[in-house]
Amino acid sequence: MATRANNKIRPIRRANVHKDASEFEPCWELLRDALTSIHTKNAGSLSFEQLYRASYKIVLRKKGDLLYDRVKDFEELWFSNHIMPRIAELVSNNLVSQALLKPPGTSAHERREMSQKFLRGIRDAWEDHNMSMNMIADILMYLDRTYTAESKKPSIFAATIGLFRNHILNNSLGSAATELNQDFIIFDILSAVSLDLINMERDGDIIDRNLLRNITSMLEDLYETDEEIAKQKLYLTVFEPQYIRNSKEFYNKECGKLLQESDASTWLRHTQRRLNEEQERCDTTLSILTTDKIANVVESELISAKLDDFLAMEGSGLRAMIDNNRLEDLSILYQLISRVDKSKTSLKTTLQSRVMELGLEIEQTLRNTDFSTPSAVGGLEGEEAAEGGDKSKVQTLSAAAQQTAAAIRWVDDVLQLKDKFDNLWKVCFNEDLVLQSAMTKSFSDFINRFNRSSEYVSLFIDDNLKRGIKGKTEAEVDVVLDKAIILLRHLQDRDMFERYYQKHLAKRLLHGKSEVHTEKDMVYRMKAEMGNHFTAKFEGMFKDMVVSSELTDKYRDHIRSLGDIGLSKTAELNINVLTTNYWPWDVMGRNSQEEGAKADCIYPPAIKRLQESFFKFYLKDRSGRVLTWVSSAGTADIKCVFPKIPGKETGSLSRERRYELNVSTYGMIVLMLFNDLAEGESLSFEEIQAKTNIPVSDLMRTMASISIAPKARVLVKDPPTKSIKATDTFSYNAHFMSKTIKIKAPTISSLSKVEGDEERKQTEKKNDQTRAHVIDAAIVRIMKQRKQLSHTQLTSEVITQLANRFKPEISLIKKRIEDLLVREYMERVEGEVSAYRYLA
Amino acid sequence: MVLRKHELEAKLKADSQLISDGVLRNEHPLDLSEPFNEFLQACRRGDLKHCQELITAGVNINGKDQYDYTPLIIASLCGHYELVELLLESGALADPDSFERERAVYNALNNKIRNLLLSYDYSKAADPLQQWSSHITSLLVRDVPKTSDIALSSAADSFQLHKFLLSARSPYFRKKFADAPATATWKLPHAIPVEAFRVVLRYLYLGDLPRDFVGPQSTVSEADVFKGIDKLCKQLEIDQLWEAILSINDRRLARQRQQDEVERAQLQVEGFFRDTVLKYKMVVDSRKANDVKWPHDNAIFANCILRADEHEDEEEDAEPVIGFNGIPIGAGESTASPNGNKKARQSTLYPAHKAFLIRSPYFATMFASDFMEARDAEHLHIIKVDCPPEVLEVILTFLYTEKADCPLEFALDLLYASDMLLLDKLKTKAAVAISTLGSGTQNALVDRTHFNDGHEGQESEVEVEPINVYDVIHAAWDLKVQRLEEFAARYLASRLEDYIDEEEFAALIQESASRIKERQETDTIELLDDIRYYLSERFRLRFEGDGLEEMLDEEGEIKAEAVEGLAAAENGTTAEANGGEEKVQASEGGLGEGGGGTVRTLDGKLVEDEFDSDAVNYQILLQKIDTMLDRLKLDA
Repeated sequence: MATRANNKIRPIRRANVHKDASEFEPCWELLRDALTSIHTKNAGSLSFEQLYRASYKIVLRKKGDLLYDRVKDFEELWFSNHIMPRIAELVSNNLVSQALLKPPGTSAHERREMSQKFLRGIRDAWEDHNMSMNMIADILMYLDRTYTAESKKPSIFAATIGLFRNHILNNSLGSAATELNQDFIIFDILSAVSLDLINMERDGDIIDRNLLRNITSMLEDLYETDEEIAKQKLYLTVFEPQYIRNSKEFYNKECGKLLQESDASTWLRHTQRRLNEEQERCDTTLSILTTDKIANVVESELISAKLDDFLAMEGSGLRAMIDNNRLEDLSILYQLISRVDKSKTSLKTTLQSRVMELGLEIEQTLRNTDFSTPSAVGGLEGEEAAEGGDKSKVQTLSAAAQQTAAAIRWVDDVLQLKDKFDNLWKVCFNEDLVLQSAMTKSFSDFINRFNRSSEYVSLFIDDNLKRGIKGKTEAEVDVVLDKAIILLRHLQDRDMFERYYQKHLAKRLLHGKSEVHTEKDMVYRMKAEMGNHFTAKFEGMFKDMVVSSELTDKYRDHIRSLGDIGLSKTAELNINVLTTNYWPWDVMGRNSQEEGAKADCIYPPAIKRLQESFFKFYLKDRSGRVLTWVSSAGTADIKCVFPKIPGKETGSLSRERRYELNVSTYGMIVLMLFNDLAEGESLSFEEIQAKTNIPVSDLMRTMASISIAPKARVLVKDPPTKSIKATDTFSYNAHFMSKTIKIKAPTISSLSKVEGDEERKQTEKKNDQTRAHVIDAAIVRIMKQRKQLSHTQLTSEVITQLANRFKPEISLIKKRIEDLLVREYMERVEGEVSAYRYLA
Repeated sequence: MVLRKHELEAKLKADSQLISDGVLRNEHPLDLSEPFNEFLQACRRGDLKHCQELITAGVNINGKDQYDYTPLIIASLCGHYELVELLLESGALADPDSFERERAVYNALNNKIRNLLLSYDYSKAADPLQQWSSHITSLLVRDVPKTSDIALSSAADSFQLHKFLLSARSPYFRKKFADAPATATWKLPHAIPVEAFRVVLRYLYLGDLPRDFVGPQSTVSEADVFKGIDKLCKQLEIDQLWEAILSINDRRLARQRQQDEVERAQLQVEGFFRDTVLKYKMVVDSRKANDVKWPHDNAIFANCILRADEHEDEEEDAEPVIGFNGIPIGAGESTASPNGNKKARQSTLYPAHKAFLIRSPYFATMFASDFMEARDAEHLHIIKVDCPPEVLEVILTFLYTEKADCPLEFALDLLYASDMLLLDKLKTKAAVAISTLGSGTQNALVDRTHFNDGHEGQESEVEVEPINVYDVIHAAWDLKVQRLEEFAARYLASRLEDYIDEEEFAALIQESASRIKERQETDTIELLDDIRYYLSERFRLRFEGDGLEEMLDEEGEIKAEAVEGLAAAENGTTAEANGGEEKVQASEGGLGEGGGGTVRTLDGKLVEDEFDSDAVNYQILLQKIDTMLDRLKLDA
C-alpha cells in the first residue's frame, strides 16, 4: 500500500483548488471595481487578462450563477443610481404634454429643439450603456460560453442590455406622469417625437438625421425579451407599426389634397418624389428593414387609392397624356402603376379603349373625307400623275381612284397610330408584355371591325410595290413592307387578304409593274409570318413567271431552228403559261359567269398561226395539257407606220412616222382590223365587236385606251366624246403623231383599285365558297380523328384550327355541319343532344 | 456525362503519364495490405458498418489494389449508394477529370450513384491545415482587431500586411525587414499593376488564386498583370507562384499545388517562428518580469509579449490562492509574495505576434476591446498567461503552426490553458493525449491482475502512474470533457483494487454523487456507474473471450458467488490489515495473479485457475464498492 501511494508521481495542485470557494469574494471585488471603472470610462488602465481570469476562475469554481446574478444586480443598481435620474431629468412636463397631447400653438422650431434635446439625451445614455455592456460581455466571455450557454439563460450581454428597455423605455420616469395625470412610458414619447420629427422633414424642415438613425439603431439592437429573437426587435414590434400608421395618415391626407388642388402630372411627379424620399429616409434615417413596407404605404395611399380619379382627370389624365404625347408623364405613370398592380389593369383598359377610339376615328374620317379633290388624295397624286401622265385621267377615274386613295390613307393612318403607340410602349412602358398584348388586341379589334381592311392592306402593299420601282430606295421599301406585315398580323380574315393579294400580285406580275425581287421578298416575309400554305399560291405564280420566260426563249430558238421565217416575221411571241390554280379567277378570264362567252375572241389569222405553232411546240414535251389563251391579260407591241400626209410639207406630219405602240392583246386585235381597212373607212363599235368577239366591257376599255387617251389616239372616234358608246364609229387616225417612238397605250384595267360594291359582293361570295370548303375539310379532319364530338366542342375545334387563316362565322360552321350530315360524312348520335359521330 | 471506354483508357494512360512525369502526385498508392483488402471486400459487400469501422481505424480510403480498383470504384460498381456517399463524405477523392472518378462514374451500377458521383465536384478530404491557412488568408481582410504592422500602398490601393508573415514567406522581404524593421509603409513601384500585386499577396497569404486576374473595370491588360507577377516572383523569390498560376485551370493540379503550398508555408512559418519567438524568449526573475521593456519596432516584429510563470514547488500550496494562481490584486503584489527563503521564481517571456494570437477568441477579444492590452503604450504589453512556460510554448506552436505535440506531463495544464484561451481544437488534442494513455504499446489499462510471467516482480515494485487520475477526473468535470470522464472511469476500473480503499476515492465518489444531485434527483452516481461498467467489461471480456461466459450467464450463479464474495470481503479486509506484503510473498507467482487478487481470495486459499480468480476478484471489488457506499450513506 505504501508503494502505491508513492507511485502517484504528480498530485497536481489543482486537485484541491476547485474546492476552495473562499476565492470568490476577492475575485468578485476585483470585477466589481472594474465594472465601475468601465461605467466611468476609466477602463483604459484595466487589464483584460486579469479580469478575464478572475471571471474564468469564478466560473471554474462553479460559481457562474452567483457571478451572473451579481453582475446583473450590479448593473441594475448602477442603472437606477446613475442613468435613470439622468433620463428622468430629460422628461419634462412640457415635453410629455408636447409629445402626447399635441397642444396647438407651438412652433415647429420649438418642438424640434425640444424633441432633439430629448432624443440626444436618450442616445447618449444608450451609447454609454451599450459600450459598457460590450466591455463587460468581453471580460465575462468565459461565463457566456460555458455557464450561460449550459443553463440556457440569456447571455450576460442580452441580460444587461435589456435593462435599458426595462428601466428606461418601458418606464415612466420623473414626475410628469402624475402631474399631467397621463399614463405613458418613455417609449411612447420616444416614438411620438421621432414621428413628429419625420413629419417635419416631410414638410420640408431640416432635422438631425443622424440622431434619428442612432435612435432607430438602438431600437434595432433591443429586443422584446432577453432571448433576442430576431423577429422581436423593438424596432419591428413597436416603432415600425407606429411609423407605418403615422405615414399612412400623412399620405392619406396628402393624397386628398393633391386630388383637390393639382393635376395628374403634378401628382405623378410628387408621388415619385415621395417614393424616393421614403427610400432615402430608410437608408439614412431609419432602418432598411422598413424600406419595402413604407414603399407599400406610399404606393397604396398615393397611387392605388385614387388612381382611377387621377387617370380620369380632365386635361391632364391618361387620355390627355396619350393624345399630347407626354412621354415623361407616361413613363412615370407606368413606373408607379407597375409598383402597385402587376397586371396594370387601369392603364391597360384606358390604353385599349383609346386605341379603339382612335382606330374608329380613322374609319370615321375616312368616311367623311372627300377624296375627289386632289388635295384630299394627297400623296397619291404624284403617283397617279406619273402613271397616267395625265391629270384629267385622275379626275375621270376618280370614283375608283378615290377608293384606292382612301385605302392607302387608311393604312397610313393605322400605321401612324400604331407607330405612335409603339413608341409609347418603347419609351414609356418599358416594353411591357402585358400592355403590348393588350394594345395588339385592341388594334386587331378595330382593324377587323373595319370590313375592308384585308383589301386595303393588300392595296397598300400593291401601291408601295409599284412605287418601289420608282425612285424609292430599297431601305425605304423595306420599312414600308415591314409595316405592312405588322398590319397583316392583325388581320383575322387572312383568306380574304390572300385572295386580294393574289389578284393584285397577278396584275403586277403580268404587267411587269414591280420588281421581282421585292415581290419575292415580300412573299418571303409573309411566309415567315404566316406559314407555307399561305404563300404557296404566290410562289407558284413566281414559278410560272420563271418557267414562262424560259419557255419563250426555247420557243424562239425553236422557231429560229425551224426557219419558219414567215412566222417569226409577223410577230414575236412572249408567253406566260399560268397554272390555273395559282392565279386568281378573274385574271384567268373565268370570272364571267357565262361559261359559253368565255369562248375565245377571234384572232387575226397571223396571230392564229402563231398560236397554233406554239401550241404544237408546247405539247411536244407536255402532252395532255390544255392551253387556254387569256387574251384579256396580254399585251402586244405593234410596230405601226403612219405614212406621210400629203399636203403637209413641214412638221412631223410631213414625214413617214414609225411608232411602236404597246397595247393590250385586245387592242392589237382591234388595230389589226384597221390594217385591212381602206383609207377613210370606219368601223362601228358593233362591227368591231362582231368581228372580234371581244366581251363588250373589255372592248369598251380597249377602245377608250386607243381612241380617247391623247397619248395614244391612233383611232379617231366619232363623235369625239370622252366615253365609249355602242353606237360610236372609229376610223384610222392618219394624223397621229407622238414625240416618242415607243408609246404605251394606257391600260385602264391594270390600275389596281378598290372594288366596287358589286365586285366586292362577288369576291365575298367566292370567298365564302372557298371558306365552305375549308371548313368542310376541317370538320372532316377533326371528326376523323375524334370519332365523336359534341356540337360545341366541334365548333370550337374548328375555330381554333382555322384561327390562323380566318375567323369562321358560327352560322357558317353550322351550315357546313348540316351539309356534311346530309352528305353522310357523319351522323347525329342518338339519344344525345347535338353530338356527331364520324362515318368512315 | 460518362466517358466512353476508349476515352477512359486514354485517361488512365494520361494520368499515369502525368504521375510518372511528376506533374501530379499519386494520390492512389498501391495498397496490398490486409486491412485494405478487407476494406475492399467490405465495399464489395456493401458492409456499411464494417467500412465505417475500418475508416475510423484509419485504413487508406484512397488506396488501390493491383487491378487499379479504389474503394470508391468498387462501391459504385456494386451499387451501394449509401456506401458511396459514406466514402465521398469521408474523403474519397473524386476530382473531376481524374481517372479514378471517371472510372467510378463509368462503372456506376445505376444513375443514382452516377449522379451522386458527378455532384461531388470537390473532394471532402478533410485538410488538417484548412483552419490554419484560412486564418492566414482572412488576415488580409480582417481589420478588427488591428494586427497589421505594415501598409503597402499604391496610388489606388493600400494593403494592410504583416511583416512576420511576409518575412516568413519571402526571402526578399526577410532581408528588407531585417535591415529596417521599423518600416511602417511601403510604396509599391508604379510599373507593376496593382492587380499583379494583389495576386501575389493572395498567394503569400495562402488564398485561392482568382481565375480572372483582371477585373472588368480594370485599366490594365492581362498581359501587363502577368508581366508584373513575373517580376514580383523573381524579386520576392517565390517561384512556385508561377506553377500555381499555370495550373489554375486544372482543378486537380491546383488543389494539389495548394496543398503543397500550405504545407510549405507551414514549414516556413514554423521555421521563422523558431527563429524569432522561441529564439528570443527570455527567462527572467518573476519579480522583474513586468519591468521588461520591449520597443515596438523590434527586429522580430513582435507586437506583444506573453508571460508564463514557472510552476512553484509543492510547499507553495500554502500560499494564498490568489497570489499563487497569478492574479495579482495590485501591481507587483504577486512578485512580492514569494517567500524570501526560496530561490526566485522564473518567468518566461515570449515575444509574439497578434496576427497569430488572435486565432484564440480570447486574444481576439482582448485586442479588440478597450482595455489596457489593446491600448497603445510606449512599450509592448506584457500579457500573462496562466500556465507553465512549457505549456505556453505548446500553445504558441499550435497557434503559429497548427502543430501540437503535447508531452503527457503537461497535458493537464494544456487542457486548462486551452480551455481558458477558448482553443477547442487544442483542448481536444490535450484530452486525446491523456486518454490515449490506454492505447497502443504503453497501455496503461492493462489488467494488472494478469502480469506476464517475467515482469511480475518488477512491475509491482517500480510502477509509476503516468498521471494523477484524480486530477484528470476533476479536469474532466471542470472543463466538461466527456472523453476524459470515460477515460478516468476506465482507468479507475482497471486498477480499482489500488484505489478502492483510499479516502480520496471515497471523496471522489461522494463528489460525483453531489454533482448529479445538483442537477437532478436521481440515485445513480455517474462515475460509479461508469466504473462498474468498465469493471464488468474488464472481467467479463476475458470470460467471453475464452468461451466460458456460461460461468456468469445465469443470474443464480452470480448470486451464489456474490454471497461467497460477501464473506470473502470481511475476511479479505482483515487479512489485508494484517499485512498484505507478506501474503504477496506467500502466493504463488507462477499463477499470474496480481498481488491484490491473491490476497483477497477467500481465506488466502489459492484458486484453481485464472478464471476462478477473476470471478472472485470481480465479486470482491463489487462488494467493496457497496461497503464504501454504505459508509458514505449513499444509495446506489
